[in-house]
Amino acid sequence: MASVSFSHIEKSFGSTKVIHGIGFDIADGEFMVLVGPSGCGKSTLLRMLAGLEEITGGVIAIDGKEVNDVESKDRDIAMVFQSYALYPHMTVADNMAFSLKLRKADPKMIAERVDKASKILNLDPYLHRFPRELSGGQRQRVAMGRAIVRDPKVFLFDEPLSNLDAKLRVAMRAEIKALHQRLKTTTVYVTHDQVEAMTMADRIVVMHDGRIEQIGTPLELYDRPGNLFVAQFIGSPAMNVVQGTVRRAGGTAHVDVEGGGSWPLDGGPGVDGQAVSYGIRPEHLTLASGGNGVPGQIIVVEPTGAETELLISVGASQVILRTHGRPRVNPDEKVHLAVDPANVHLFDRTSGQRLAA
Amino acid sequence: MKLRQVTAEAKLLLIGIPVLIWTMLPIYHLFLFAISPKDQAMGGQLWPDKPTLHNFEVVFLQQHHYLNFFWLQMWNSLVIAVAAGLITLMVATGAAFAISRLKVRGGRMAMNLALLTYFIPAAFLAVPMYKTMGVYGLLNNQWSLILAMVTIATPYSIWVLKQASDKLPFELDEAAKIDGASPLQLFRLVYLPLMTPSLVAVGTYALLLAWNEYLYAFLLLSSERDITLGVALGNFLAADDSPWELLMTTGLIYALPPAAIYYTFKRYMVGGLTAGAVKS
Repeated sequence: MASVSFSHIEKSFGSTKVIHGIGFDIADGEFMVLVGPSGCGKSTLLRMLAGLEEITGGVIAIDGKEVNDVESKDRDIAMVFQSYALYPHMTVADNMAFSLKLRKADPKMIAERVDKASKILNLDPYLHRFPRELSGGQRQRVAMGRAIVRDPKVFLFDEPLSNLDAKLRVAMRAEIKALHQRLKTTTVYVTHDQVEAMTMADRIVVMHDGRIEQIGTPLELYDRPGNLFVAQFIGSPAMNVVQGTVRRAGGTAHVDVEGGGSWPLDGGPGVDGQAVSYGIRPEHLTLASGGNGVPGQIIVVEPTGAETELLISVGASQVILRTHGRPRVNPDEKVHLAVDPANVHLFDRTSGQRLAA
Repeated sequence: MKLRQVTAEAKLLLIGIPVLIWTMLPIYHLFLFAISPKDQAMGGQLWPDKPTLHNFEVVFLQQHHYLNFFWLQMWNSLVIAVAAGLITLMVATGAAFAISRLKVRGGRMAMNLALLTYFIPAAFLAVPMYKTMGVYGLLNNQWSLILAMVTIATPYSIWVLKQASDKLPFELDEAAKIDGASPLQLFRLVYLPLMTPSLVAVGTYALLLAWNEYLYAFLLLSSERDITLGVALGNFLAADDSPWELLMTTGLIYALPPAAIYYTFKRYMVGGLTAGAVKS
């Protein structure tokens, strides 16, 4: 087990710079998820840690030792690939034993390790099958088994669940998390799926265009997104955001929205006349009774069973409301929205940064 | 639906039957000569009056002065073909691995330059090749033919193998690298096993190319004890009264090993030689 640290990491492909000076630390035993839209540099960062890409600038250290010029095989890491990358001509057992055989480990020890890993992953019945005879989920488990037998300092996962169907993905997500809780090996996990990031991570690094937007625990990112990008990236459905101007002079504080509508504010940040992005999560909107609140009109009602999502037009903008109830409303119906100002997120319009009180 | 299948089948047969006749006719002719007695060979019958295996006896027992070294020449053909096949395989596999997997700088250009040599017909290169082999002191040495065949077979083989290895996912190499494999271990433990079908196809291609070669064999080798069976067959025609039935019998025997090899490896041949030709 080990800690990992990135400092001032830069990466260029030719003259194109894809990572612009990134630095953060991963604690021993931590499950760190790198998340961001495609092209944000998260996979490149992981591949640099794996030793599959040259590091253009900065230092990567594992357990306090710089590994920039250390070969992949000597970094004591194991990686699980999106495509599984199992050796097609080897059985499950041989796939798992391959790295130990290359290291000329004692055959008895190899057998023990493979046996142990296959028990953890429920792969015993398949040890003598070839990868082509396995389902997607089983192949993914073999790829994990191959990583486990190494007993490495760090596990690296590169979008390991992207090739699986939705149901299996949820199951494997829980399996990987349970595995981490059992082995407590430092893990770096790359995904573009924010739900995966939220459910699995101890901490999340949100990346965008080769820069870090925010680092924090899943709930920190959800409850206090540091900027507009994080606010809209984390959470599904995404946070409602409308553009407006803060009005504090005379009467109650509110935000005047361009194209009509007015949303309430409390005594928090935002000075009179400031141009802001006003954010509110779908579950923090409720239908108000008695004609108070922000007036709107239902566009679409989407029942999912446990929850109902309403798409509502307010002035020129549209917002989504999510409720656990089953409201009796119909499209085109006029409604009023209640907002608790304590749940409102305000961001500076130009910089996109969160406004703090 | 059923009718459509029948028509489709009929169309295929309509093409297939003439093609079959067209290709089998010369072979049947060959066979006919081989089982005919000398005086009936040119008779033009569809089946000889008295079919005989006497010609085979003459060939196998080397009982004619054209056939004094039949078994030795057969052996020569075999040794040269197998050697050319193996050496081509070694050269082409190494090159394809370096170009496709290790991404050696300038590798693609080297391959394209090698392919460029196919713009010049092999016959034009025969004389320069003869000269070169003379410089190396290899004339009348079977190595000259082996090396010439390797030269001719290698560019195409590299290309086929490169296309096939481009289809192997690159993550396999990366996984092996992280697992601790050196480039040589990657080559031996991951690359070669996965390339087997293509390797068989390419090896067979080079082997058959060398087995069937006439021009270069004729030029580079001259001693009766060194030449291949193909060249020996050509020498039959030097006389005014060539023993046609023996020529055809020997030809039939000469054609059998390639047919057997092709039949054995045919499941690799089509797939292997067209691997990577289209995106799958």
